[in-house]
Amino acid sequence: MTGPLGDLLTVAVAGFFVGAGVSFFGRRAGYAIALVASILFGGVGAAAMFSGHVAGPQWTGPIGNPESLGLDALSGFFAVTAGIVWVATSAYSLSYDRRPSPVLAAAYGATLGSIAVLLSSGDFVLFLIGWEGMTIAAYAMILQATGRAGRVVSASFVFLAFGEASTLLVLVAVAGLRVASGSFLESPTVAGALLANVVFVSALLGFGLKMGVAPFHMSEWLPIAHSSAPSNASAVLSSTLTLAGVYGLFRVLSLLPSPPAWWGAVMLSIGAISALLGALFAAVSEHSKGLPAYSTIENNGLILVALGIALVARSEGLSTLYAFALYAAFFQAIAHALAKTALFLSAGYVERSTGTFDLTTVEGRAKRSGRAAFFGTLVAALSLAAAPPLAGFVSEWMILEALLQSYRFSPFGLEFVGLLAGAAVALAAGLIVAAMVKFLGFTFLWRPRPTADGARADGLGTVVGAVGVVVVGLGVLAPWVLRAVAPAAIAFAGTGVPPPVGSLLAVPPGWSILSGAPFGILSPPMIPFGLAAGAAVGVGYFALRRMRSVRHVDPWMAGSAPGVAGETYTSFGYSTGLRIMLGSMLDTREVRSDAGLSAEVGLATPESYNVELEVLDRFKGFYDGLVRFGVDVSDLLKRSVMPGDLGRYLAYVLIVTLAAVIFAAVVA
Amino acid sequence: MSAPAPSSERGPVYRAPDGSFALFNDYGAGRAMVVAAPPAPEPGTAFEVWDRRRADGPRALAPAQAIDGYGVFTFPYGPVSMGVPEAGRFDLRTYGERLLDIVPVGGFKSRRILASLPGLTIADAGLRIERLAGPVSASHVSAFLLAAESAAGATVPAPELWVRAVAQELQRLYNHLRVIARVAEAAAQNVGVAQTQALAEEILQLEGRVFGHRWLFGALLPGGPPRRLESADRRAIAEELDRRSREFEGIWELFLESRTFVDRIQTTCPVSRELAVRWGAVGPALRATGVPWDDRLRIPVAPYHDMFLALPKETEGDALARVVVRAEEIRASFLLLEQLLGRWPAASGAGEPALPPIAPGRGLGRAEGPSGDVVYDVRLDGDRIAGVGMRSPSDANWPVFALGLREGVFTDFHFACESFGFLFAESDA
Amino acid sequence: MSWLGLAAARGILTTRYPDVPVAEEELPRTGHGPAVPGGGRPPADAVAVCPVEAIDPDGIDQGRCIRCARCFAHGVAPDGRAEAATLRRADLTGGPAESGSTPNPEAPLARLGRSLHVFLIDVGSCGACNQEVLAIANPFYDLQRLGIFFTNSPRHADVLLVVGVLTDEMRPALERTYAALPSPKAVVAVGACPISGGVFRGHAGLQPSVDAVAPVDVFVPGCPPAPVQVLDALLRLGDRSRVDGGGR
Repeated sequence: MTGPLGDLLTVAVAGFFVGAGVSFFGRRAGYAIALVASILFGGVGAAAMFSGHVAGPQWTGPIGNPESLGLDALSGFFAVTAGIVWVATSAYSLSYDRRPSPVLAAAYGATLGSIAVLLSSGDFVLFLIGWEGMTIAAYAMILQATGRAGRVVSASFVFLAFGEASTLLVLVAVAGLRVASGSFLESPTVAGALLANVVFVSALLGFGLKMGVAPFHMSEWLPIAHSSAPSNASAVLSSTLTLAGVYGLFRVLSLLPSPPAWWGAVMLSIGAISALLGALFAAVSEHSKGLPAYSTIENNGLILVALGIALVARSEGLSTLYAFALYAAFFQAIAHALAKTALFLSAGYVERSTGTFDLTTVEGRAKRSGRAAFFGTLVAALSLAAAPPLAGFVSEWMILEALLQSYRFSPFGLEFVGLLAGAAVALAAGLIVAAMVKFLGFTFLWRPRPTADGARADGLGTVVGAVGVVVVGLGVLAPWVLRAVAPAAIAFAGTGVPPPVGSLLAVPPGWSILSGAPFGILSPPMIPFGLAAGAAVGVGYFALRRMRSVRHVDPWMAGSAPGVAGETYTSFGYSTGLRIMLGSMLDTREVRSDAGLSAEVGLATPESYNVELEVLDRFKGFYDGLVRFGVDVSDLLKRSVMPGDLGRYLAYVLIVTLAAVIFAAVVA
Repeated sequence: MSAPAPSSERGPVYRAPDGSFALFNDYGAGRAMVVAAPPAPEPGTAFEVWDRRRADGPRALAPAQAIDGYGVFTFPYGPVSMGVPEAGRFDLRTYGERLLDIVPVGGFKSRRILASLPGLTIADAGLRIERLAGPVSASHVSAFLLAAESAAGATVPAPELWVRAVAQELQRLYNHLRVIARVAEAAAQNVGVAQTQALAEEILQLEGRVFGHRWLFGALLPGGPPRRLESADRRAIAEELDRRSREFEGIWELFLESRTFVDRIQTTCPVSRELAVRWGAVGPALRATGVPWDDRLRIPVAPYHDMFLALPKETEGDALARVVVRAEEIRASFLLLEQLLGRWPAASGAGEPALPPIAPGRGLGRAEGPSGDVVYDVRLDGDRIAGVGMRSPSDANWPVFALGLREGVFTDFHFACESFGFLFAESDA
Repeated sequence: MSWLGLAAARGILTTRYPDVPVAEEELPRTGHGPAVPGGGRPPADAVAVCPVEAIDPDGIDQGRCIRCARCFAHGVAPDGRAEAATLRRADLTGGPAESGSTPNPEAPLARLGRSLHVFLIDVGSCGACNQEVLAIANPFYDLQRLGIFFTNSPRHADVLLVVGVLTDEMRPALERTYAALPSPKAVVAVGACPISGGVFRGHAGLQPSVDAVAPVDVFVPGCPPAPVQVLDALLRLGDRSRVDGGGR
């Protein structure tokens, strides 16, 4: 029953696991197999989007439920996205992974395979198997980090804890769907209001946990930033693990038709808060992988915002806005996945060529001759900062246009939520620009000096550059990409969601994106024309005036020699303004140690001390408190209920036996 | 009756380069005291920091701390910037935004003036002393001439001393107006700045008319440009100063009503009385911490010994206090000028004897410049200069500024720096 | 009273220079350069009394004069010319009659039209020249009505205004500043110090002229020159000064 495409799908999914096994004999072979499997997987996903369905093998599962592998247009879209990302990370890993132990490569293959399984699962049991496998394999990957041992173990444990919590919540959602539809199959269902709400809430929380949205964002930034996980692992974590969460949410929502308005409002609120928090912490982050990790929180928040608008629009009967916001969510998903991959791979490149993850130490020393890496980082950072004509710009534009149309909602409460969310998203957009400028500036642009040993970064830069090219293409060809996404949108929503592509004025038909009828219009393919025309005027003017002489001078440092006192403005200093101004949101504290003889200034002898300006995530404090509470409760239970006293335990046995006897007597 | 307890408010004033004596102010008793053969100054004290200006090349003018931490770096501001209109650098130790430490670095404008004076006549030396720091030339020349006259045991005709006083008071008006305009400019009080600058320009034009040079170069030395200080001229000057005084009242009242202006300088760079006394702060910076010291009152030479001078003092020690003290001093200067012009001595009267020399052929002269006490130590060899030592008000105030601005932020810098009225030219002689 | 009322009561203070000649208040006559009345050679005791050797038996070097006025008692008097700026160093030593024989050099920044951006650098001044240069921004002179602006960075400037005698410590800073100005650029030396070293000529560690580091386009003698003379010098760069028949 499975055609050639279905066989290819099986081969691809199995191939990941085969590659994981082969890694124990040869790392590079393992990555190479993963690379091939990714190409196959992405190809089958594209075919699924074209043809609407690719059916794989079917069999009976562990609890007697029918299981199958297959891709429809919706999962095909995510498969294509994941395939592109994995091609890049596998090619990158070929030269990046130099450690003697093959565990990273094996865990990498297993993670990819698990995600492939859950993307191509036809029923929820297989989905859950893939979900859990993904969590455990990723946990193994994070444990391969090179940071301090204690931090690595605790950070990966945090990841595992949050991952298991998400599995638990997803399990609740799956159980609810089972009750509603009678089976585990991923098919549309009609559920009563209470059950539907339970499924929605647990799915939102469970998948949101994986996506790393507030208030669970610690699951995203802590493992990556605190444990310094290897860059190919970080890319997979941030790009595709969170993508799996997005897919899960899309899938569950597609099975629950006619959502009430408050679902959308809740998603909108959570998304907006995540976007703001993520952008804020990204702007004050000094870790070259922590910064992109926070940006992932922001971007996933934006996906939630788009979906939220879509759901509210659907419940309000605004079909054009519904379609537009839905396409915005899809586009944001793929734009973010690709740009984030490039950014994490670039962070790995920077670490290889400068030896550090600390932006304050890097100071522009990434290998300048790595032009491909520079191009890729430039494009990725600008895309995440929403600069035209890149993919991130198109998706951010679409989301902001959707938010601007929240005035169409009739209840004032919904309008107000849209208003606040719009303000938060706009603020986040501004803060993320600061964050991306900081990342790009302090890795490649800041006072470049030749590095001592950049040879170890060879080969990595090319991959980064290649992903950058894809991001540029995605942005410029956005109208056609939206048309290609149409099957996925239809698979999600049923009919009635045409791609928001049209034409206006003198632009050729089909080259523009329309955000409403009428509301706004954008033509991404025309932007490069405009940029080129503007550049041509300037270049032509100067060519005509024959002003071709260029004089190089040192940067202006108020007349002092550049680098007087051997120091320069640090990346930390760049963001300190934000740390101080938003000190209440960021919980900023200044800590002094090794203070001099006395705190009184003006003492005859010079003082010396160390000063640290710290920024704390209040949510982490909450979780730490939760952990302490849990530990205290279990301590209390241990001391009061299980004190190790034999007599007490015998008493428990006696009580339970008596109760059972009484119970049996009463029931009988 | 037991002996009075030694006053603990003893502030450093000047230490001779050859170590033969040191001068202190006893703020408790309200008089100066000379200590013979003082010990060598310890590192990190006022005398040692002030002595650094005698070295060549860029040098720190205030004590520095050793502060380190994640992201902490030194930001060199200067020596070429429009924000600080002179050649001098500030090394800001910061992790961004906050000023953990600030070290003024001078030595960029060192014209080696004091080293070039031995062998010159007093008049020729005066030409160079005038151009040591142009905006405060009158106070430097007056202190220098007092020291030289003291060393020579000369007698100065009274009108000449009145001329010196008028010159110093006019320059005090200009400099205080300049400082208020600079502080207000940092607070973006553009209309007020324009009006204050216009008033300052009118004072300069008055100086040019009266003394033949807007900056009084040559005015206090023999052979300078012709002066216009006859009795008719003096009446005209007094009338004009009366008009200017009323203009100033109008401007100052409006400044005090501006909340943005006052808020910006309140609690900026606070200097405590102990800090000011220990480091030998002078001028409005000292009086803003509550110490009632003004050379014109405490070291009274003619004509000040007989004039009414209200001594403004505040106690907060922040930039607002320093600016308020300057505004009060502008009022006091207008009043002083009215008295000086109204009670002009006859040219034929007996001259005033100079202060007794501190050692044979060695005189000490002090004058209250606009930014504070300037000390000259002149050794004569016959009628030629043998050596000159000097401590300027900027030297004395740099450490107090640097220590007071710790815990500030970048944006406080200009308010703090301008409120002291520094001139790198004074420190870089 | 409000700022508006106070300003209205003060009235308009701005001079109409260069449409009108320099007024006495703007530059006292004693601030003009010295000259021998009626032409001719300077008397011998004027040569002896000048502390900076600006007067020698053949003529007077305006670029060295520090305005100490000692020569006024020995047969030399203010020359009555307020606009003393020149485009060539040699023009400061010859009298007006001699400089007329060679044609004036072309105004260096005439092609910038009616807009000029100025950056001030102090390489070792006493502070008086700084104050006079900054005074062209006060309401009396108001540089902005002439299209002149101060910039905060040399990268934005067309003109480098140099005040002070060049010390060894400031030499690298001056080189960097001059290099930071984009072409076309001009340098204006304000005061006796950057032209000839002023009263500090001959001190160790000082350069007598900044010309070697930043070639000077306009020389403004004086100690210090008055703000209106600084305005005149800046207008010379654009061929708009009163002397050239400008004053547009």
